Amino acid sequence: MLTGTILYALINTAILALMALGFNLTFGISGVANFAYGAFYILAAYGIWGIVNLLHLPYPVAIIVAIVANMIFGALMYRFVLLRVRGQALSEVIATFGIGLAILELFSYFGWVGFEYTLPVFVDRSFAIAGTYVDFQRLAILGFSVILVFCLWWFTHHTATGLAFRGIAQDERTALTFGINSDWIATLSVSFGAGLAAVAALFIIPLGSIAPGEGYDVLIKALAVCIIGGLGSTGGVIAAAFIVGFAERFTDTYIGSHWTMIVSLAAILLVLTIKPSGLFGKQKELEERI
Amino acid sequence: MLEVNDLMVFFENALALNGLSLKVDEGEIVGLIGSNSAGKTTFINTVSGLIIDMRIKEKRKGGERISIYGNIRYQGEDITEMPPNERVSKGIVVSRERHPVFQESSVVENFKIAGYLRTKAEIKETMDFVFTLFPPLSKLKTRKAGFLSGGEQQMLAIGMALVVRPKLLLLDEPLLGLSPMMQKAVMDAIVSLNKESGITVLLSEQFARPVLPVVDRAYVVENGMLSLSGTGAALMNNPEIKAAYFGV
Ligand SMILES: Nc1ncnc2c1ncn2[C@@H]1O[C@H](COP(=O)(O)OP(=O)(O)O)[C@@H](O)[C@H]1O
Ligand SMILES: [Mg+2]
Repeated sequence: MLTGTILYALINTAILALMALGFNLTFGISGVANFAYGAFYILAAYGIWGIVNLLHLPYPVAIIVAIVANMIFGALMYRFVLLRVRGQALSEVIATFGIGLAILELFSYFGWVGFEYTLPVFVDRSFAIAGTYVDFQRLAILGFSVILVFCLWWFTHHTATGLAFRGIAQDERTALTFGINSDWIATLSVSFGAGLAAVAALFIIPLGSIAPGEGYDVLIKALAVCIIGGLGSTGGVIAAAFIVGFAERFTDTYIGSHWTMIVSLAAILLVLTIKPSGLFGKQKELEERI
Repeated sequence: MLEVNDLMVFFENALALNGLSLKVDEGEIVGLIGSNSAGKTTFINTVSGLIIDMRIKEKRKGGERISIYGNIRYQGEDITEMPPNERVSKGIVVSRERHPVFQESSVVENFKIAGYLRTKAEIKETMDFVFTLFPPLSKLKTRKAGFLSGGEQQMLAIGMALVVRPKLLLLDEPLLGLSPMMQKAVMDAIVSLNKESGITVLLSEQFARPVLPVVDRAYVVENGMLSLSGTGAALMNNPEIKAAYFGV
């Protein structure tokens, strides 16, 4: 049972990291807390569903269209909404949350709810690993999240745009002196975050079904993981995903599933009590020292 | 190359620059001497365009109003309202005061970020050049920039500006807080950049002593206004300058 629990805890960790990485990327670079993130996740899921089931186009096409559409939508949201309230954190949160709310409630209003709204698993097979059955989709999530973290690392360390992301994240005004355009980079950061929400949806939704309420759930989980990790730190997201991922699964197995929520909340409170800026809240600490 | 006419800058209603006019010819090193809060940084930021970005950001969040009057011409073109990234593409590159570097990144990575507009090969080439210009940096390639000493950070900051390949290099108080030995190393490097690499330099400083001997011309600012200007040699022998800007 222990190996099984550990395996499922790892998968849970991967799911949480996948959900949080996009939100974290946007926040880490431009400081925008995109509260429409959960809605973007759901939007992409319905987008893929609609393209496959209503337009009868192939699944891979649907995936690409949904990711690109989400990225464009994110960029437009930055250009036409966020740009006007840039630098006022509360207004940014209200604006993005409002947009997210509108999207999610619209889907509820039109009654797009039910078991027929789901995305197919990639491969319908299960494997026995050390006596525990795991389906292919969960293994795909596990493998892909590792690949994604590596790709993000490579992107931010070896491409001009990725390096500009890190420059803006560390010291915006200095980044400007090298010809980096901060509004363009911020646009990209929101856009990439929205694209990652689509990617997360495409991997995770097949485990359940598409429902507007999921959007809120994803936003809360992403927020929790990012706050524990120390907003904006990729290492922090990974560490926090491990903490919450393992805490949830172990509580589930050894204490009871009705305690799951409480234990994760307790984990959040504990981390924040010991280290208010989150596990990897390095930047903050530097500021505090100065 | 650079021609500034009657520049006035207000922060809200406070006048930071008051009718400043200045000229930098191609190939010169020009000094801008002024005591604390004389307006040196405001001037440098207005030429580099950073103030345009500050003005936009302040406006968006409803902060202080920044107003700019007068005009700045660079290679014959009016750039007064041009955003900073376009000025960088045209060769105006600033190294800001207090040598800000990307603290969490290694020395090499700082160069890579600074090379946003350059190819990988160009970055590599300038980086190797900077390591010969500032030999201490070459032993610190993988060190996090936040762990460098003030002097090393200053070398890195100037090196990062060089990666952009400036035609007009603006240096805001590059000697601030450095030991006399570091000051000399940095000053020598600036002279060699000017003489050997042909980069035009405008540098600001509080103290005239290390600057006047190497500059072609210098301007002295007081309270945002020009009080004196002339060749380095002429200003060196000016008793007023000696009393006010030579320190002890
Ligand atoms: N962002 C700002 N807001 C308001 N006043 C400013 C700002 N920046 C500079 N000033 C004022 O403008 C004047 C010139 O400052 P500065 O250009 O920083 O001088 P220096 O670089 O010569 O020390 C000072 O009186 C300073 O208080
Ligand atoms: Mg200054």
